[in-house]
Amino acid sequence: MNDEVGGNQKRARFQALCQSLRPDLLRFAFWLSRDRALAEDVVQETLLRAWKAQDSLLDEAAAKPWFLTIIRREYARSFERKRFVTVDVDELVAREEPTLAAAEEGDLAEMRAALFKLPDEYREPLMLQVLMGLSTAEIARELDLSGPAVLTRLFRARKQLRVLCGEDTRLDPQE
Amino acid sequence: MMDCSTYRRSMLADPRDPDAHLSEHRENCHECTAYTEKLLSFESRLDRAVRVRLPDAAATPWRAAAAPRAALYRRNRFAMAASVLLAVVVAGALWLASPGPSLAADVVTHMGGEPGAWLQTDVPVPGAELQGVLQDSHVRLGAGAGVVSYASSCAFRGHHVPHLVIQTESGPVTVMVLVHERVQKPVSFDEQGYRGVIVPVAGHGSLAVLTHGASTDLKTVELIAAQVLDSISWSG
Repeated sequence: MNDEVGGNQKRARFQALCQSLRPDLLRFAFWLSRDRALAEDVVQETLLRAWKAQDSLLDEAAAKPWFLTIIRREYARSFERKRFVTVDVDELVAREEPTLAAAEEGDLAEMRAALFKLPDEYREPLMLQVLMGLSTAEIARELDLSGPAVLTRLFRARKQLRVLCGEDTRLDPQE
Repeated sequence: MMDCSTYRRSMLADPRDPDAHLSEHRENCHECTAYTEKLLSFESRLDRAVRVRLPDAAATPWRAAAAPRAALYRRNRFAMAASVLLAVVVAGALWLASPGPSLAADVVTHMGGEPGAWLQTDVPVPGAELQGVLQDSHVRLGAGAGVVSYASSCAFRGHHVPHLVIQTESGPVTVMVLVHERVQKPVSFDEQGYRGVIVPVAGHGSLAVLTHGASTDLKTVELIAAQVLDSISWSG
């Protein structure tokens, strides 16, 4: 009986954990895929997989990297299932315009469109850092890169982003 | 001492890097201090830009019971259907039988998502950025609150709420303005390394104030909460 109650509490806690992380997981999947519908599918699949494998999450403090690993795998699987051919960034921006240019956040639309234009290899570590709050070491583990390689990608990501956003980059260092 | 090019390269890779060599260079280089302020302003916009609003998906509570659209293109549909059915039965029963997570637990969980916010710094968030974060909650923050070093509008329990970090004598303190969450009386908590209090605010929900680490006792946190509350005025 006690085991049953404990199990119920554990599952309820896991459900709450899924719910609290879900908005940022959706955002991460959105920036990964640049496709809101696909992002919702990927996160739904991710949460179901996580739900089934919840016993393998031994430390709740490590939940975020655990979910990120699942979501990145699930996103890769979505490529195996579908053969995407759309790479026209302007088309992607136009399609996701309602999300990128929400009326009350008009000043951010330009930066969001610029983020869409960043190469995947720069956009992903940038999202892991800015959106998901991962350290350089955590990003390196997640992307299977060295720490210096992560820092180089983050440097290039911001440098390109600032150019795309029309920032004054005269004082930015060269490569 | 580190040269300017190396400093700016490091800052572009991680603008919130607390490395002492970076701080030392910044303190001794007027041009790089100005560069950093502009970069942090850019970073603040980036921080807001990545947090796109996803109202349809994020507003609905997730349950394992929800039918996944992605399942439509799974190879083994029957196996998936069986899994989902099982999840529906199990999770649905659990959802109905179990109480919701406490507000304090959700606040603590949210903290885990933004570790960079706790940086100890004297660089304030630009006034316009802070106002942008506060305006949806009809909040104004007086100068008595201290230096606000981090301000973000965060998704929390289906609403966007101001999440601030204020630099106090006791170190960085996080404040969440929870206008949609009511509590009957102050709720203290000490979980996962976070120590804090959620205080009721008449007519405006509640305010969560918390510190990270063991250096600040609960009594001090309660005093800080009272000070922050005194410095807040409501415009709506």
